[in-house]
Amino acid sequence: MTSALRLTGIHKSFDKPVITGLDLNVAAGQLYALLGPNGAGKTTTLRMAVGLTEPDQGGIEIYGIDAIRNPLEAKAITAWLPDEPMLYDKLTPSEYLGFVAGLWRIPPRDAAPEAERLLRWLELWDVRDTRCEGFSRGMKQKVALAGAMIHDPRLLILDEPLTGLDAAMARSVKDALRAAVDQGKTVIVTTHILEVAERLADRIGIIANGHLLAEGTLAELRAQAGAEDDTLEDTFIRLTSAPRIPA
Amino acid sequence: MIGWIMRLLPPGSFVWLVLHELRLARRPAGKRSRWLMAIGAVLVLGWIAFGVWIGGLLADVGIVPGPMGMAGAALGSILLFTFMTTQSILGSQRTLYEAGDLDLLFSAPIVPRTVMRAKLVGIAASVVLTFAIIVLPIALPLAWFGHPQLFGIPALIFALALTAACFGLAITLILARIAGPRAARTVGQIVAALSGGSVFVASQYFSNGAPRGQRGAVMEALFEKMVAGGFGTHGVGALPGMAAFGDPFAVTALLAGSLLLFILTTRGLQSLFLSGYRAGGMKLSRPKRSTRSVAKQFHDRLFGAVFAKEWRLMARDPALAFQVVLRLIYLAPLFFIVMRQGDDYVLIAPSLAFSSVLIAGQIVASLVWLAVSAEDTPDLIKVAPVRKDQIDTAKLSAALVMAAPLAILVPVGMAWTTSIAAALFTLGVTGIAGWASGMIEVTFAKPAPRSTFRRRRGGGSFIRGVAQFAVTMFFGAIAAVGVWVLTTTFRLPFNL
Repeated sequence: MTSALRLTGIHKSFDKPVITGLDLNVAAGQLYALLGPNGAGKTTTLRMAVGLTEPDQGGIEIYGIDAIRNPLEAKAITAWLPDEPMLYDKLTPSEYLGFVAGLWRIPPRDAAPEAERLLRWLELWDVRDTRCEGFSRGMKQKVALAGAMIHDPRLLILDEPLTGLDAAMARSVKDALRAAVDQGKTVIVTTHILEVAERLADRIGIIANGHLLAEGTLAELRAQAGAEDDTLEDTFIRLTSAPRIPA
Repeated sequence: MIGWIMRLLPPGSFVWLVLHELRLARRPAGKRSRWLMAIGAVLVLGWIAFGVWIGGLLADVGIVPGPMGMAGAALGSILLFTFMTTQSILGSQRTLYEAGDLDLLFSAPIVPRTVMRAKLVGIAASVVLTFAIIVLPIALPLAWFGHPQLFGIPALIFALALTAACFGLAITLILARIAGPRAARTVGQIVAALSGGSVFVASQYFSNGAPRGQRGAVMEALFEKMVAGGFGTHGVGALPGMAAFGDPFAVTALLAGSLLLFILTTRGLQSLFLSGYRAGGMKLSRPKRSTRSVAKQFHDRLFGAVFAKEWRLMARDPALAFQVVLRLIYLAPLFFIVMRQGDDYVLIAPSLAFSSVLIAGQIVASLVWLAVSAEDTPDLIKVAPVRKDQIDTAKLSAALVMAAPLAILVPVGMAWTTSIAAALFTLGVTGIAGWASGMIEVTFAKPAPRSTFRRRRGGGSFIRGVAQFAVTMFFGAIAAVGVWVLTTTFRLPFNL
């Protein structure tokens, strides 16, 4: 099976080691949820995958492209949506999409109709000429999501993509991510909402203390945790040994 | 000290809030390096020492409120008042749109008018602090060493600052009411720059209109004419002078007048202040329904996309509008020199060529610095499949295009008054110098969010400053020498 993202032997330290010998393989055409307690190294891992942080050691491949040696090729097929939207407050949604499309060098004849489709789908069409500075967090997140999708990436990497979205929009985004996977794209998400991972993800990776603790489908994770009737939350807590609050 | 006094007062009271504002006014935004603080302290101490020395020197010299002194005090008060109003407009904008503490203050169980009064005193206090550091180290030693009447100067400064704060707040609120909070920020910055620079432009106009060597005499004659006309010696116009020279009636009248204006402002503008705060806090941009297609936002080339983005961000930056207007104002002397035709152009033209390089370098460097260093989403640029040098080139080109209208002013003026050849040569060197200055900024500026750029501006590297200075001197010298050669040796017959 083609690998969409392959991390091999990744090490990264800041003041102290954050990622220690991480190996991760995400197959193409899957929705992969990366879970872990706070400070586990999820965001650092994803930032390394998209070229924002350089690993101290190890290899990164995106659809077979060596992302360390050929970063531009890898970036051309990747989208990154962090938890804090990468927006310009003084630009309108349509201006922002125009800029992002320019960065990815999408011809206007392709970008303009796609922008219109995204703006309508994300219910931003009526405010497409209003500057983002007055938007709520959810609206900003939607503009950033449109920016991430405007260049039709093969690999979408999203850090907490549902933050700030209302229930209806969160459902729309989840549906869109699922639809993207159905079209053959690969989606990697981090989330604290375990229900999202449980319902959406094809495979789940649990990361703690800078390395992959467990990986597989929900059933495989339950088996690894030794409790086959557990919810993902119970499994997650068992695997990461997070402290429970006594009843 | 302020914190200690605050602990003695009832929390939430007007005086308690005023002290809170004073505490904030004493702490400018951003971190200051210890070196800069030490240099600042040495300068202030040096200024105080100079004031004490002057005070001692003039201890036996009679300082009496004669017509010249009164007119000087009135003129100085007008100057101070324009600068104070500028500061107050900027301070009011910070209070309404940037400070971010009004939500907290208005959600507290405090009467809104008390909050507004405290804020207004805070604006006045920051203005007083600025000008007190300049004026009082000289005025107070003079007063102490044998001229007690000059103790009226602190009262005059306070009255002027309070009045300027009322004017500044009123201008900001009325602009916000008329044009909306977003436009009010931009227009307010422009009004502030114009009000601050108006005195400078007027002085340049009068001094540059006179023949060479007689400019000082012209200004002197103008002042004498004003004195002879009763400026600063009669009616209300005499109050600043009388207050500066310690007349108890004038001091009382000015303080009472400014306090009355303060009360009237807080009463009359309360609803405007609240609506201005709400408009600023809730939404800076008005929702804009549009029927336009999005197609025109997309570009065939990377440069088009980056240029459009940089252009929009700069055009929508109120602080930048302030800087551009200020630069235009400071170009006024050059403008007057360029437009003064005469036989001395052979001497003037090289200095104009040098100035052209200096101006272009400064403008391009500022714009490139803003484009590169005030990048809201550096991560977006990093994850895009473009090389850094491509983005930098696009940003530099955008800055050059944006700077061009200002940078060509001097060469165009030279074409009019000296020779087309000299103007074209100046234009060429100016363009190269602008590009070189921009490259220095591209090399040294680091991308970071726009919201933090004001704080980071102070932390410019020493090497960058030296490089900019070297580029300016090098290309400035080339431009000056080249223009001198063109206008003297060859005497090309291209004069208009």
